[in-house]
Amino acid sequence: MSSTLKSSPRKYRAFSPARVWALATNTVTQLVRMKILFLLLLFVVIVVAAAFAFPTRSPEQQLKLLKDVVFGALQVFSIVMAISATALLLPRDVEDRTLYTILSKPVPRHEYLVGKLLGVLLLIGGGLLFMDVFFSGVLWLKQTMITAANIEALKSEQSDTPENIAAVRALIAHQGLTWNLHAGVWCVFLKAAVVASLALLMSCIATSTLFTILVSFCFTIAGQGQGLLRSFVFKSLPVTWKKICSFVLALLLPDLGLFDQVQAVIEGNSIPLATLAETTGFAAAYVVLYAGVAHLIFSEKEL
Amino acid sequence: MIEEKKQSKSESPKAVSVENLTKIFQGAMGRKPLTAVRELSFNVAPGEVYGLIGPNGCGKSTTMKVMLGLLKPTVGSASVFGHDSDAVASRHDVGFLPENPYFYKHLTGRETLRFFGKLCGLGGSELRDRADAMLDLTGLKNAADRRVGGYSKGMLQRIGLAQALIHEPRLLILDEPTAGVDPAGSRRIRDLILELKARGITFVVTSHLLEQMQEVCDRVGIMSQGRMVREGRLEDLISVENQTEIIIEGASAEQLAQVRAIFAGSSGAKIMSLGKPRTTLERLFLETTVQTGDEE
Ligand SMILES: Nc1ncnc2c1ncn2[C@@H]1O[C@H](COP(=O)(O)OP(=O)(O)O)[C@@H](O)[C@H]1O
Ligand SMILES: [Mg+2]
Repeated sequence: MSSTLKSSPRKYRAFSPARVWALATNTVTQLVRMKILFLLLLFVVIVVAAAFAFPTRSPEQQLKLLKDVVFGALQVFSIVMAISATALLLPRDVEDRTLYTILSKPVPRHEYLVGKLLGVLLLIGGGLLFMDVFFSGVLWLKQTMITAANIEALKSEQSDTPENIAAVRALIAHQGLTWNLHAGVWCVFLKAAVVASLALLMSCIATSTLFTILVSFCFTIAGQGQGLLRSFVFKSLPVTWKKICSFVLALLLPDLGLFDQVQAVIEGNSIPLATLAETTGFAAAYVVLYAGVAHLIFSEKEL
Repeated sequence: MIEEKKQSKSESPKAVSVENLTKIFQGAMGRKPLTAVRELSFNVAPGEVYGLIGPNGCGKSTTMKVMLGLLKPTVGSASVFGHDSDAVASRHDVGFLPENPYFYKHLTGRETLRFFGKLCGLGGSELRDRADAMLDLTGLKNAADRRVGGYSKGMLQRIGLAQALIHEPRLLILDEPTAGVDPAGSRRIRDLILELKARGITFVVTSHLLEQMQEVCDRVGIMSQGRMVREGRLEDLISVENQTEIIIEGASAEQLAQVRAIFAGSSGAKIMSLGKPRTTLERLFLETTVQTGDEE
C-alpha cells in the first residue's frame, strides 16, 4: 500500500481530450437516462403520419408537404433539445453541488464547459442522424410508391411512352430523396449548435434552470426574427449605419435566419456548396464566441 | 526536470498551508458583503489529521473551498503540497468530500467512480481495479451496480469518500463526513479515516461530532466567526496542566476506596473528581465559540 504515497503526481496537462471526452459521454449518458430521447419516438410518429396524410394532393405536393412537416418537426426538436438539455445540465450541477466534486478533481473549468457542450452536440447530432436516416427511408419509400402509382396511371391512360415515364420519374425524384435533404439537416444541426452554446452562456449567467430555459427561448425567437427587425427598424438608416447596427445586433443576438436553408430543400432547390460552407463558418464563429464568453464568466464564477 | 520537482517538494514539508486568509462574499444587489473567513492561518504537516471545528456558519466549508480552488481568496493564500490552490495541478494530490455530497443519480456507484477516475487521468484496467478496490474499501461492493439515486445518506458519504480516494491523493479534505449518518455508519467512516491515516494520508476534516474528532485528530483548530480562536495538539488543548486523569477499568469498590484513602491524608494533592470519564473537547468547544447568529 506504499503506492498511496507516490511522491510524483501524474503529469498534469492543461487540456486533456480524455477528460473532455469523459465529461461529454457522461453528459450524453445523463441525458439519455433522463429519457430525453423519447422525443425521437414522437418524431417517428409525426413522420409516419405525415407520410400517409394528404393523399389527394398531386404527387409533387405530397412530397413537398411531407418534407415541410418533417423539417418543421426537426427544427423544433433540435432547438428544444439544445435549450433544455443545456439548461438542465449546468444549473443543476451547481444546484446539486456535483460541480464541487468535479472541479475538485484536476479539471480546468474550460474543459468542463467544453465537455458539457460537446455532450449536448453529440446528443443532438446523434438524434438528427437517426432522424435523417429514418426520414430518408420513409421519403424514399413514399417516392417509390408514388412513382409506381403514377406510372400505373399513365399505363391505364395508355400514354406510358418512355418520355412520359422519364418525365414523371424526374419530377418526383426532384422532390424526393436527394443529397440536399442531408444538407438541410446539417443546417438544422448548425442552428441547434448555436442555440446550445447560447443556452450554455445563459446558464453561466443564471443559476436557475427555469431562467435559463426562458431567456434562451426568448433569445432564440428574437434571433429568428432578426431579419425582420433589420428590414423594418433599420430601413430608414443610411447604409453605413445600417451595416454597423446589423453587425452589433448580430453579435448580441444570433442571426438564426442564416441557417434557414430548409425552404430551399422543401422547394426541391439545391443548396450551393459555397453557401453550406459559409453557413458552417458562421455557426462555428457563433459557437466559439458564445462558448468563449461563457468561459470568461464561468472561470470567474464563485461557486 | 523531474529531479528538480521532487526536490522542491521535499523542501516544503507542509501538506497544507493557509496564510492570512480572508474571504469576503460580495453581497448581491444591495445586500452587504459578508466576511466568512478573517485572517486565518494554519499549517498541516504530512501524515497529520487536522480537525477544523466550530459552529455552523463560522467559515469551515469556505476555508476548504479556498484550499481546493473552488473559491478565490479575497486576501491571503492557500497551498497544498507547495502548489498554490489556484493552480489546477494542485488538485492531483487532493481528494475532496463535500458537505452533503450529491452525485449524478443516474449513474451506478461503479460508474460514478469510473467517471471521477477518468477525470483524474486514470483509464483502462488500472481504473477498473482502482474503482473496485475503493468499492471494497468503503464497503459498497454489493451496492456497486445500483444507481446512486437510491443510496442512503451513509452510502452517499461512503461513495463520496471512495471518489475522493480514486486517484490516490496524499491529502483528503472531508467536510462533515459523518453528518446525518447513523452511529454505526459514522463509526465505520471513522475507522476508515484511521486506516487511511495509518497509510500515511494527511487529513483535514470538519465535524460536529466532537467525540469522534477527539478519536481521530492529531491537532485541531477551533474557529469562531471566521477566526481561529484556539489551535494546537489535541492533548495540549484539552489537558489541564496540573491535573492527572487516571482511567481505571474494572476496579472494585474496595480498590476505589483505597485510592481515595491514599489522597485523603496528603496535603498537596487531592482528588478533583472520581467518576465516569466524559468528553472534554465538547466543553472546550462550547466555552471558546460563539454561536453564529447569537450576536449582531
Ligand atoms: N457562496 C456564498 N455566498 C455568500 N455567502 C456565503 C457563501 N458561502 C457561504 N457563505 C456564508 O459564509 C459563512 C460561512 O459559511 P460556511 O463556510 O459554509 O460555514 P461552515 O461550513 O463553518 O458551517 C456563512 O455565514 C454563509 O452564509
Ligand atoms: Mg460547512
